[in-house]
Amino acid sequence: MRKTWGMTEGSIACGTLIVAGFVLQLATGPVRWDAMAWPVNLVVLIGLLLGIFAMHLLRKKVRLFHWMTTLQAGIPAMMACAMLTVLMGVTRQAPAGHPATEPIGITNMLSFWPFVLSYLWLTILVGMVCMTRLRASWHNVFFLLNHLGLFLALVAGTLGNADMQRLQMTVQEGKTEWRAVDAKRRVHQLPIAIELHDFFIEEEPRLSFASDVTVYTKRGITVRDTIRVNKPLSVRGWKIYQFSYDEARGKDSDISVFELVRDPWLPLVYLGIFMMLAGALSLFVTRKQTNCKS
Amino acid sequence: MVNWNDLWLFALLALMFWAAGAVLSLRGGRQRLASLLTVCGLLVFGTYIALMWHSLERPPLRTMGETRLWYSFFLPLVGLITYIRWRYRWILLFSTMLSTVFICINLLRPEIHDKVMMPALQSPWFAPHVIIYMFAYATTGVAALMSVWQLCRKERDLSAIDNLTRVGLSFITVGMLFGALWAKEAWGTYWSWDPKETWAAATWLCYLIYLHWRRCRPASVRPALLWQILCFLCLQMCWWGINYLPSAQGVSAHTY
Repeated sequence: MRKTWGMTEGSIACGTLIVAGFVLQLATGPVRWDAMAWPVNLVVLIGLLLGIFAMHLLRKKVRLFHWMTTLQAGIPAMMACAMLTVLMGVTRQAPAGHPATEPIGITNMLSFWPFVLSYLWLTILVGMVCMTRLRASWHNVFFLLNHLGLFLALVAGTLGNADMQRLQMTVQEGKTEWRAVDAKRRVHQLPIAIELHDFFIEEEPRLSFASDVTVYTKRGITVRDTIRVNKPLSVRGWKIYQFSYDEARGKDSDISVFELVRDPWLPLVYLGIFMMLAGALSLFVTRKQTNCKS
Repeated sequence: MVNWNDLWLFALLALMFWAAGAVLSLRGGRQRLASLLTVCGLLVFGTYIALMWHSLERPPLRTMGETRLWYSFFLPLVGLITYIRWRYRWILLFSTMLSTVFICINLLRPEIHDKVMMPALQSPWFAPHVIIYMFAYATTGVAALMSVWQLCRKERDLSAIDNLTRVGLSFITVGMLFGALWAKEAWGTYWSWDPKETWAAATWLCYLIYLHWRRCRPASVRPALLWQILCFLCLQMCWWGINYLPSAQGVSAHTY
């Protein structure tokens, strides 16, 4: 009998996860991401981190946990994720927020259990391998920038998704509006209000549309600014994007449609992204590692 | 004003420089001169791109034809860097041939578009996002060609392919993350899994698998080379294949 597990076991683990995901999908339906909203996502995050930490502490006693930090476990996990991502790429996905258009669920891949479990498995492996590198050395710093950065961006981006609010607000010129609708056309009353002074279309130097607005908050702050495409306005955790206008009337449109986005997990995701950016540069400056495992 | 009709002139001149450099390097010796000729070709072709940029009044990055221009430019550049760094005598010939193919496509099927750019693309993120990707595509393109070459040989050396993949992957990562930051800035989400993004994720994972595989099983060379080619096919799907993929029709924010 071999002493350590290898890539075969890694493939078996992924195969098992995919089958288990399939069974879960049949039994419970697609993954319900909306149930992840605060504070559930915080509980899940703490559970995930504690679990990774516990497995890290037990890695010398439990062979499985040690193996989870090896390339032999990681490569099949990446393969499983790549395969399911390719499957997602070749199937026509249902629009965001809509159920799958076939009984299996692959047209709603983001809520397809085998897909979610495969990425979760990969995330856990990345988290565990990061734990083994928490000692100061240049090599570890580069390693952590890439791996911990990915871990952070993936976990914060996924868990925070349910807390992200994307609302649309239609404002008439000269009026002030504080209600907005979500993707399911439900009306939300917001802690900020937008007064539209003027909507205009600029043709020079480039075609663009813009709104001259004042934004009021409940705490009495007012901001007067112009919101353009690609130039959102940030007020108290909300980002206000120029989204649309009355296209039938064109430049005479007397309404402006804004998209309001709130994403409390954003700083963590950005931290992950910037770590990965720095890590990508380190792929340049460091030389290829000699093979430490075989 | 320079336009698509002038491409053949600049391309011919650049290709003559590149071909001369390629032949010289293939013969061995005279490495400085071969490099210098390649640089001259790059200057000529770079001038054309710069003049196009000027006369279009926007970065020439929006249409497939325009991105092919950058690709034709970056291929000899990556070839030159590889040549100077690792002294492969045949690499300049490879990159020149590949560049020629893309120039010919542009000469035979120019995609001419007007000046106006949709508002969403008028962003400072746009040019770095696409230019970095084009450079990555060129790097990985050379790596893929070298993999085919190595597959045909008995004694195989993957060190250059590994290094090109590292460079290519770091550029793919930066291009992808710039895209995510831009998307967050312009549309409010970093990642919306539109078909282009889905294929970008798959491609990124595939190149990651290659590098991890090389560390894990350095002696297992043939699967690595085959995988490298698979990675490049995945990249092609991401770059232009999805334009023809039924599942991606009409749902991608990346169609141009």
